[in-house]
Amino acid sequence: MTTEPSVDPKERKLRRRRRASSLREKRVLLARRASKAYGDLVAVAPLNLSIRAGERVALVGHNGSGKSTLLRLTAGLLDLTGGRIEVCGAAAGSSEARAAVSFLPDDPVLYDDLNVREHLAYIAALHGVQAELDSFDDLLGRIGLLHRADDLPARFSRGLRQKTSIALALVRPFQLLLVDEPFIGLDAPGKEALLGLLDDAHQGGATVVVATHDPLYVERVDRCVALRDGHVIHDGPATPDEVLGLVGG
Amino acid sequence: MLLPVADPDADLEQSLAHWRRYRKRRRIADIDWVDALYRADLTALLGGAAIYALAGIIGGERLTTQELHWVATNGADCLGVVVALVLAVGLRSGSRGGPLVLEHADVRHVLLAPVDRTTALRGPALRQLRFLAFVAALVGLVVGVLAARRLGPPVAAWMGSSALFTVATVALGYGAALVAAAVRLPSWIGTALGVALVGVAVADAVDAVEGSPLTAWGHLGLWPDAFSPQLVVALIATLAVLGVGFARVGDVSLEAAERRSTLVGQLRFAATLRDLRTVIVLRRQLALELPRLRPWLTVKVRGTSRFPVWTRGWQGVLRWPAARMGRLVLLAAVAGLALRGVWEGITPLLILAGLALYVAGLDAVEPLAQEVDHPSRSQSFPVVRGSLQLRHLAVAVTTMLVVATVAAAAGLLVEPTASGALVAAACIVPAALGGVGGAAFSTLSDPLAAGGGDGGWSLVAPETAGMVLAVRTALPPALAIGGTLPLLAARAAFDDGASAVDAASTAGVAVLVGFGLVAVWVRAREELRARWEASLEHTFPSRK
Repeated sequence: MTTEPSVDPKERKLRRRRRASSLREKRVLLARRASKAYGDLVAVAPLNLSIRAGERVALVGHNGSGKSTLLRLTAGLLDLTGGRIEVCGAAAGSSEARAAVSFLPDDPVLYDDLNVREHLAYIAALHGVQAELDSFDDLLGRIGLLHRADDLPARFSRGLRQKTSIALALVRPFQLLLVDEPFIGLDAPGKEALLGLLDDAHQGGATVVVATHDPLYVERVDRCVALRDGHVIHDGPATPDEVLGLVGG
Repeated sequence: MLLPVADPDADLEQSLAHWRRYRKRRRIADIDWVDALYRADLTALLGGAAIYALAGIIGGERLTTQELHWVATNGADCLGVVVALVLAVGLRSGSRGGPLVLEHADVRHVLLAPVDRTTALRGPALRQLRFLAFVAALVGLVVGVLAARRLGPPVAAWMGSSALFTVATVALGYGAALVAAAVRLPSWIGTALGVALVGVAVADAVDAVEGSPLTAWGHLGLWPDAFSPQLVVALIATLAVLGVGFARVGDVSLEAAERRSTLVGQLRFAATLRDLRTVIVLRRQLALELPRLRPWLTVKVRGTSRFPVWTRGWQGVLRWPAARMGRLVLLAAVAGLALRGVWEGITPLLILAGLALYVAGLDAVEPLAQEVDHPSRSQSFPVVRGSLQLRHLAVAVTTMLVVATVAAAAGLLVEPTASGALVAAACIVPAALGGVGGAAFSTLSDPLAAGGGDGGWSLVAPETAGMVLAVRTALPPALAIGGTLPLLAARAAFDDGASAVDAASTAGVAVLVGFGLVAVWVRAREELRARWEASLEHTFPSRK
């Protein structure tokens, strides 16, 4: 009979802490009883969610289910009412979390006085990527925006503004890409290009979370999280038909 | 695709500064100098007119020794009220994410980047403070010159003192706003603090209490008369508040900053057009003033209800958030206390009371305003729109009766007497009708109509159109002030030894007739406008 060598309690505590820390590192997104309310309107009920590095997740739900709110809370754009959200071990909205998260919103917000290239250079610089104005041609070409690269997005259509926003989300480093209703306003080639770029980002090692109404998108992901009235009602693999059932389609 | 890689040694704040300089250079290059000069010219003209008006108000006669003594004794307390008001505005602004109004794209891109937020926001905050301090200094210098005419030389000292007071006051308010935003002060606490500060300062000014801390700032404006060590404390405190505000400017809530960045621009535009309804709606969005999901009381709705508009109105009113309820109580208290002051002989307070009732009335006519906000819906009803809008006034009047009753109670509480209660009771209905009349007129008036392009106003001479616009702007508050006139009649009767209640009741009948005219206008205005248009079309067939 062998006996386990006795371990110093301090050492045990240290090991436990290291183990927890390494688990946290693998978790790119960790929500613990995260909630958001506007007065007596609950947008996100206390919610627990853990997403590991390299996962590709679809966030589905009907209108008002809390998808966009959850993404904005994670990006740090909204203040939590309760609970906590961590991105790569740092509190959402902190400097470390902001460096790790790229948020592609459903409403493109752009500067009036910068053209597309300048936008890209500016955002890249704000994230520590030093690049020349013509070094974005590959990315712009892939989303079909190269011919408008020197134009002001203020004069663009909704779809072109969305494409500019996509480019801005991908021009900077990130570990977690949050995408909110990305296909709105995009033409068929634009949608195909975006799907390709999301695949590439995932293959490049990033975790990708996409909030969408498109049930077909769940075929491309490993995991589907369905929300209803701010609660998680499904977490795991799902087929498009199951998604339609979950979100009441 | 390889994900972009950040340079660990990159100086993000330096990059931000570089790009901001680049954008500034471009903005300056794009300035239309003729337009800028025209604006500067217009501002100078308006400023000159304001100084002329202010000089008329302040006057030029030297104060008597007795008056100078009053200024020396009470001046700092009175200036403390101004400081309290500015501080209250700052606290309220800060509790709603102010005072900074950032570019929406900056909130999304700069504040979501791993750039140090304090560094990123310090520049815009400094620029805003610099502008405010410049305007405050100008105002201070002008007031100093005008004050010196009444208080006596040295003019330069009064100018310096006055400018120091206005700049320190603005800086204190701005710093308080920054601190409130950084500590995420809840809006209701910001409002309560502001009201408490103003209350204490006013009480100190009328010698009801002693020791308002803001009197120290008041001494800044009066140091040529008497130097007080308190002004040094005030300056140090102002710098301390500003310092804390700037040190924590990066702690601002992004949620509030984004809401502010999207709404404040629209709000300013609506204010420029004097579109009061849009201003109210946007202000509510800014304050996150949302209707309650569950009403305070449940109103039973039956399919065969004979009074659907009445029921719909109460369903809306009973969903008012607590903040709006609290605001109405506060406005009622202000109106009541101001009317008490009118009864005591301070007649100008009638304007304050009327304005408070007017603002309360704008909340009370909310169900009507909702109807106006959605014209296509009301057009689809098988009811004449004027008739529908008229029916909405019933709920508004009932609501304002409650507000006016609270106002009467507030006024009475100062010194309760049986005869005072009778006079107050006689003034309740006219006050409520005045508030609703003014608010209904404001809500149903098209802010753009008098500017041309509507209802034949394009045929009217510009001078007349300007006059019509001025009347449209001034009439709603004037109607609300008119609702408080029965109290003035009661006071005059009381002074003459006649029955105050009878006088108030008689004047109340006149207010009732006035409200009746507003009701007729609400009911018939669209038909009258259509007839006017038709007659114009008939007279000038080539008009369109």
